[in-house]
Amino acid sequence: MSKKYDAIIIGGGHNGLINAAYLAKAGKSVLVLEKRHVLGGAAVSEEVFPGFTFSVCSYVVSLFRPHIIRELNLVKHGYDIIPMDASFQPLPDDDFGLCKWGDASLTRREIARFSKKDSEVYGEFSKVMTHMAKLAKEVIDHPAPDVASINPKELSSLLRMGKVFKNLGPELLQMNTKLLTMSSADFLDLWFESEVLKGPMAVSGIIGTFLGVRSPGTAYVLLHHYMGELDGAFRSWGFSKGGTGGVSMACANAARSYGAEIRTNVNVSHVKIVNGKATGVILANGDEIDSKIVVSNLDPNRTYLKMIGEDNLSPNIATEIKRFKLRGSSGKVNFALSGVPNFSKKRKGLEYMKGDIAIVPNVDYVEKAYDQAKYGEFSEKPYINIVIPSLTDPTLAPPGKHVMSCFVQYAPFNIKEGPEYWPKLADKFGDAVQNTIKEYVPDIDSLVEHRQVVTPWDLQETFGLTEGNIFQGELTLEQLLFQRPISGYAKYKTPIRNLWMSGSGTHPGGGIMGSGGELSAKSILKEKVI
Amino acid sequence: MSKFDVIVIGGGHNGLTTASILAKKGKKVLVVEKRNILGGIAAGEEFHPGYSTTGLLHDTSGVRSQVVKDLQLEKHGLDIKSNRANVTLLSKDGKSVSIQSDVNATVEAISEFSEKDAQAYSAYQEFLKKISKVINDLMENPPPNIDVENLTMGSLVVLAKKGMMLKGLGNKTMMELLKIAPMCVADFLNEKFETEFLKAGLAAPALYGSYAGPWSAYSTINLLLWESASKNHVIGGPQALIAALQKAAIQAGVEIRTGAEVEKILLDNEGKVEGVKLSGGEAIYASKVAASCTPKETFLNLFDNFQLEYELDYWIDKIRSRGTTAKVNLAINKTVELNGRITEFARTGNSFDEMEKAFDPVKYKQVTNAPYLDIHIPTHSNPSLAPEGHSVVSVLVHQIPYDFKKGWSVDAKKQLGEHVLKELEVYSPGFSKAVVGIEILSPTDFEERYSLTEGHIYHGEHFVDQLVTRPIPSCSRYKTPVSGLYLCGSGSHPGGGITCAPGSMAAIEIIK
Amino acid sequence: MPIQTPFYPRTSALNKNLDWKEWAGYFAANSYNVVNDFEYFAFRHSAGLVDITPLFKYKVSGKDSMMFLSRLMVKDISKLKLNQATYCCWCDDRGMVIDDGTVMRFGDNDYFVTAADPSYSWFSRFIKKLDVQIEDITDTYCGLALQGPKSRDILKRMCDANLDKLKFFWTTSAKADGFDFKISRTGYTGDLGYELWVKNENALKLFDAVWSAGQDFNIRMAGIAALDIVRIEAGLIMNGVDYHSSLHALIPEQMSSPYELGLGWTVNLDRDPFMGQKALKLEKKNGSKWATVGIDINWPDLEALYKNLGLPPHVDSGAWRHSVPIYHKQHKSKQIGYATCGTWSPLLKKNLAIATIEMEYATPGTEVNFEVMVEHHRKLVSAIVCKPQFFNPDRKRSIL
Repeated sequence: MSKKYDAIIIGGGHNGLINAAYLAKAGKSVLVLEKRHVLGGAAVSEEVFPGFTFSVCSYVVSLFRPHIIRELNLVKHGYDIIPMDASFQPLPDDDFGLCKWGDASLTRREIARFSKKDSEVYGEFSKVMTHMAKLAKEVIDHPAPDVASINPKELSSLLRMGKVFKNLGPELLQMNTKLLTMSSADFLDLWFESEVLKGPMAVSGIIGTFLGVRSPGTAYVLLHHYMGELDGAFRSWGFSKGGTGGVSMACANAARSYGAEIRTNVNVSHVKIVNGKATGVILANGDEIDSKIVVSNLDPNRTYLKMIGEDNLSPNIATEIKRFKLRGSSGKVNFALSGVPNFSKKRKGLEYMKGDIAIVPNVDYVEKAYDQAKYGEFSEKPYINIVIPSLTDPTLAPPGKHVMSCFVQYAPFNIKEGPEYWPKLADKFGDAVQNTIKEYVPDIDSLVEHRQVVTPWDLQETFGLTEGNIFQGELTLEQLLFQRPISGYAKYKTPIRNLWMSGSGTHPGGGIMGSGGELSAKSILKEKVI
Repeated sequence: MSKFDVIVIGGGHNGLTTASILAKKGKKVLVVEKRNILGGIAAGEEFHPGYSTTGLLHDTSGVRSQVVKDLQLEKHGLDIKSNRANVTLLSKDGKSVSIQSDVNATVEAISEFSEKDAQAYSAYQEFLKKISKVINDLMENPPPNIDVENLTMGSLVVLAKKGMMLKGLGNKTMMELLKIAPMCVADFLNEKFETEFLKAGLAAPALYGSYAGPWSAYSTINLLLWESASKNHVIGGPQALIAALQKAAIQAGVEIRTGAEVEKILLDNEGKVEGVKLSGGEAIYASKVAASCTPKETFLNLFDNFQLEYELDYWIDKIRSRGTTAKVNLAINKTVELNGRITEFARTGNSFDEMEKAFDPVKYKQVTNAPYLDIHIPTHSNPSLAPEGHSVVSVLVHQIPYDFKKGWSVDAKKQLGEHVLKELEVYSPGFSKAVVGIEILSPTDFEERYSLTEGHIYHGEHFVDQLVTRPIPSCSRYKTPVSGLYLCGSGSHPGGGITCAPGSMAAIEIIK
Repeated sequence: MPIQTPFYPRTSALNKNLDWKEWAGYFAANSYNVVNDFEYFAFRHSAGLVDITPLFKYKVSGKDSMMFLSRLMVKDISKLKLNQATYCCWCDDRGMVIDDGTVMRFGDNDYFVTAADPSYSWFSRFIKKLDVQIEDITDTYCGLALQGPKSRDILKRMCDANLDKLKFFWTTSAKADGFDFKISRTGYTGDLGYELWVKNENALKLFDAVWSAGQDFNIRMAGIAALDIVRIEAGLIMNGVDYHSSLHALIPEQMSSPYELGLGWTVNLDRDPFMGQKALKLEKKNGSKWATVGIDINWPDLEALYKNLGLPPHVDSGAWRHSVPIYHKQHKSKQIGYATCGTWSPLLKKNLAIATIEMEYATPGTEVNFEVMVEHHRKLVSAIVCKPQFFNPDRKRSIL
């Protein structure tokens, strides 16, 4: 155990693996340590029940940065995304439901069943949002500018970010202020009248946050849905072949191909700090591994309070990191089904179910789900985002059978009884989800062969996501950009020299984008610390 | 056919301010007021024989000292103190605390139930003092004239940053400001204080007139604005301010017509303002019109279809002004104590959860059973408002939706009154039995009586995108794209409440 | 998946080429035959029949409908007489074109509007307190365009309308065997022609009546491909090809004013306010930056380029719709405009294009250089700027 690595990466999630791949590609000796027996972190595929493979946590791939695919040659290493076409919304009082398709005219007809005006405004809205998404793209593809700095270089990077607003004109600029600050429901009210149409649109603003669709500051996340177009891909949402873990495996393969070493079942206790400098890691079994730098792919809370330890932090920094809000709000329920569930009595064929299925009949529905969660209960009637990836990728389930993966919000980590009470609630929670689905698929009970319930507590205990936050920290404005995770340390550095960060808890944030891993690695290489 | 230089629509505190300043500068000014009395929502009114309020709103802490000085209002009888009035925060368990302009006294009062909170309060006041200069600078001047065509988000941040640095804000305070500004007021105060009713009471002003609960993001900004701007106290309440303003206006030569409702703003062939048409058909001519009514009332009701550019019409229509305030005026046959105290101003709230629960129904166009109250008992300082030994209790009830699903019928209002009485009974046992008269005004009544669009007391919600560039960017410096038309009401920067600030800054713009 | 128009049972049976494309959410025949010259020549020599159901169609009614449309359109609709039709466009505040179409007046307060894009939401925004009702009849009414020198003769055989006196851009009601329909003397071919509007339930009756009456006159089904050739010959522009709706444009450069599109003649400036009036007055005064022109591409030049390679000259058989740069006559690297569509005219034997060009080069007769692709290499040939209307036969407007 005398080898000294250039870099040790704690956590084999997709960001950690991407970070490792970039560092290894630059000729550095890299070691990735993963606590679990599988790689991928929250981007993982597991055969939970014999023959049924699930994307246990994260289930769709949307904003994975195309340049990472190019630069790391990920397709060669197995990166394979099957695009999703439809987005279906079953309705309790309308057997046809609402389905949105890649075909704009068809979508217009679908929406016109609920509002003629909205059906036409939908296109106009997409145009404006795509235009404004230019900013979001600018933001996620560069390290966050440091607002506190008076360094002219930092200011000029701020200005560059601002330049995308040129040509927007005063009206769009005004729209942009609204977008950045308003609630997603209010923002959509500026455009649309149909509560049905607004339901699933508004929801995209609250995924993974402990906020409601009427909470200010949720509108800007709507932009993410329009960013795919800027990447040159018309349909950016898709399933990874073999489950979301496929993305992580491709990243791992790429890292290995460049010479990185990856070990699983290795539990890091904390970072070895000598004279305020990180010099390696200390494992739970007491072993030490030395390195020139350490990159933590864990969330900010774990990185600062467990890997570094409060003793090694100034009180100010410790206070700031404790202010960082994690508040997980969602869970997953994964079903192994004996056959195809039918979410519409009237629709023929399976096409409408091959994308995502959103249980959110209107805006109030999901706001009421939030109201319940605010006071420490999981939503009896939650927002559920369902995918049945085995319809497009039959390798995931035995022939004729299916895997159905349900993202469920709200399931607040901090329930009334205290988070450690979650294991006792898991079955009840699973029942609530199954019963909600039953309103649309009456025979669901007879289809279910197995059920896996992943509570926010499980997300913390099994996947190491503090408070079960799927984005390693809420994506609210005060926790973004130069404030993610805390101001002064938003550029992947930490108060401990040679300890870096790369996870979703860093700029630009969560989702399977890969940006944290990439930008962190590029910052490390630029500083020539190794 | 007399011709004026400027016609001011609306004789509320802002309209009168604008008119007086213009008249003092030698302009020939006419104020037209729909109602038979002046004052708008600052007008004191008899709501039950022998019992009067001092105004629909009762907070006069934001009245601008500069306006008082410029219009010599003190000479016209205004008695204004440069201290905020004491406010008692009430808890259901019988506790209460008086928040006073004297920080030390307040700290001492808080320390009776929480030493930690007492210290936190002192630190909080320090922080507010540090940032109030920056905020007041923003609020006391017309919004910065930004070249919108060439504006970039980055340049804005750089500009703002330079501005803040210049004001002597340290980097640390600035970063703290950036951190807390988007926060919800509950998170913000939870970081500082532990006592629920104290937090709730301190947070309440952030939610007045807004479509928000304490858990709504950005509510902290409203709190900081209110805390920074609230410095004064008018003896006699809003109506005393109106009385002084009226005298100042008349002395300056302003012509005032009450009972004169404007039906249309008249434009000439080139689209320039040429006057107003009253609902009786009478046309009055002037080259400039200043509207102190709401922006939506001004543009959407006082013009015909297609008269305005689509872009203007579109953005005005998008202004959010969802009324969430109701008023209950009570005539009481005794002296009222709240939690055993004699106090002129009091707030209830108890806890963030309770306040949030009061807001929850608003989202579904429903009314809460347990409203939190903003209470004013003007008879404590001015007994003449009621028969001897009796009291007037004027209650602003927040989080009461304009668009109540069932509609604001007589029964619905009665029910609201009952909920309010039930709340008051908690703090003042036997209260209900002492009621001799009651007036309940729903948000729709506000709209009807005061022409407040959707009953919104601030002419438009105070929310980030509707502040500074208030009400919309192209009208944000009081001037509008309609040549000769100016806005001078609460719908303009720096916003609503009884401040006279929009009225005075609009007047300066009109003279230019 | 696009849907079928009510004529589909007939048009699909007649389509020998299985060449369909999507038009506004409907299946539309691009061509009916492998060789589609005959469809083109039907327009010019006998009669071509096109299913134009996918056009967006609106019924605008109510006491204020005349005023409403006048405010919305650049043309003064209050001048439109009963049964008259007019072609016009509508703009936003900036005087930039949103869409173009025809407005027909079927009753005192009953107007029929066609559009290329969905327009219901845009129109509806301006109703507010006016007494105006807008009904989207796109999916309940369907349309056939019968265009060509024999179109009048065919119609006279199958209905009772007095077509001899029906002038260009006028409409009439008609009765045929058991059903009513509307005829407007309008079209997209620049030739004698009519458009027939009927309720969906009578679609097949109308089709069968026209088709059987047309047999003696060599009637042919015609697809979008043939229609594209004739509309370019007629110099008629197309939304989405020759210009972009300002509602869809992302940057100001993608927008066009009526003047820039050669639609200045549709603008009635001096009247009560209408959408875009202020901006259009200003543009009229200050001049426009761009113009829409016709381009006559020099044939001998092109022939010579091919000859050098030992090849006979070659042009695409149908119309094309993509951007082709146009350069200055002398400074060959200076781009002064771009063509948006073009075609070889089988009738005129000319290589034509419609182009957007800087105003100073828009005068008819100006010589320019036009980019062509000759055997995988970009070359320039000379071309002449002209009025976009290349073909304008007397019969288009004639009455008997």
